[in-house]
Amino acid sequence: MYSIVLVFIVLLVLPGSVFAMHISEGILPLNWAVLWFVLALPFVAAGIKRMKDLSKNDLSFKPLIGLMAAVVFVISLMPIPVPTAGTCSHPGGTAIPAILVGPFISVLITAVALLIQALFFAHGGLSTWGADIVSMGVVGAFTGYGIFKFLRRCNAGLGVSAFCAGLLSDWAIYLTTSVELASGIRGSEPFLPLLGKIVIAFVPTQLPLGIVEGAMTAGMVTLLYRRRADLLVKLGVIKQEQAGGTL
Amino acid sequence: MSAYNCFSDNFNKETFLSAIDARIKLVVVLVLIIMVLSYKGVMFPLSVAAFSLLLCLSMRVPVRVVALRAAQPLFIAAVILVLKTFFSGQEILFSLNLFGIGLSAHADGFMEGIQITSRIIGGVSLVVALGFATPFIEFVAALSWLKVPKAFIEIMMFAYRYLFLFLDDAHTIYNAQKNRLGYVGLRKGLHSFGVLTGSLVLRGFEQSQKTADAMVQRGYTGDMPILKGEPFRTAELAGAALIMIAGGITWMI
Repeated sequence: MYSIVLVFIVLLVLPGSVFAMHISEGILPLNWAVLWFVLALPFVAAGIKRMKDLSKNDLSFKPLIGLMAAVVFVISLMPIPVPTAGTCSHPGGTAIPAILVGPFISVLITAVALLIQALFFAHGGLSTWGADIVSMGVVGAFTGYGIFKFLRRCNAGLGVSAFCAGLLSDWAIYLTTSVELASGIRGSEPFLPLLGKIVIAFVPTQLPLGIVEGAMTAGMVTLLYRRRADLLVKLGVIKQEQAGGTL
Repeated sequence: MSAYNCFSDNFNKETFLSAIDARIKLVVVLVLIIMVLSYKGVMFPLSVAAFSLLLCLSMRVPVRVVALRAAQPLFIAAVILVLKTFFSGQEILFSLNLFGIGLSAHADGFMEGIQITSRIIGGVSLVVALGFATPFIEFVAALSWLKVPKAFIEIMMFAYRYLFLFLDDAHTIYNAQKNRLGYVGLRKGLHSFGVLTGSLVLRGFEQSQKTADAMVQRGYTGDMPILKGEPFRTAELAGAALIMIAGGITWMI
């Protein structure tokens, strides 16, 4: 218990900026880096295939996906003050494309944004690209999409569904990244205790960040609904008869 | 310093390193990263970091920008070092009392932490140097040469083309919101942030339609041309081989 308290204190006094749980270059040993790549590849391939299928009859689809990737890139660079940790943190932003264009294409969008960030901004890395795709792309997108669809089926409001999708997607990313980190750095240490310490180490930033991510996702969907409900209908987020109604 | 200003591609590319074939730079960096990741010690990653830092300085990248770029990985590295030192290992190095909590640092945990930290520093410095030395369009051509699917590369090109525009937009909207007290109080701040995100997504949709229309008018049929690489130059191949052999020898020592 003491160690848990201490890890918490250490995080509170460490200054600086914490990014959206990107795993930095060099953290993972070679075998784990390769494993996460192998796990990520089928999802990226599925995303490319889906995008090719959808862009066959719509020449504006590829530009749309490219621009969504740019938006995700920018969102994940926005500094958000986290008072509990005394740092700035950055959202993942993967729930947004997952809700709008589906989870597989969202994985592709995240992979593109992550590669540009790794190369030209040192967020994430080349060897950890696979691990980052799995956590932020695959887990983040599928969790966000699944929660959003489930809540909509339960007749939850658009804003509430989007908020929960953003919140839980962020926390799912955080837990997956913790698993990736623990497995990669544990050395001779047992896995579960280290995982616990890492999860606790990032609580001060990731718990409030999840709420910000939820608010951001809800704000985005709400704004689109109010200003361009036709886009949400076109993308299949809402049905035609729901456009123009109350949230 | 704004995000735009410290973007790698924003720096001078007229250096001896930028003239080298991007395919060669990419392969050399990937090989060195593999060596860094598989090395069981600290000397090799730190040597690679020193070499990469010298390359960055030779390209006249401001030290502040390099430090800013490395801040996030170093933060993670510091957390890992603390975790490994105090919560891993058996051999007690020293003990301390912090806020009434007894705590022991372990020598073996510290060594493991230092090894991971050196790997992070080595790996990050390589990627940072690659980013500063390679214009985006040449990097894309190198990816194409490595048989990365064309659809992926096209999405990357679209994203890169417009992310500066969105960075500017985000900056403008944020400043406007801030000037109107949009971030005073938690509730207002969350709302403003949601509006900012929504506005960017909306802008993305609208811009994508305009872009597609403009491209179709210029003959776009769904495929974008990608820069083809020139034949390799012997001197560059020899230089790359020399660096990899030197790296290999240092790795084995």
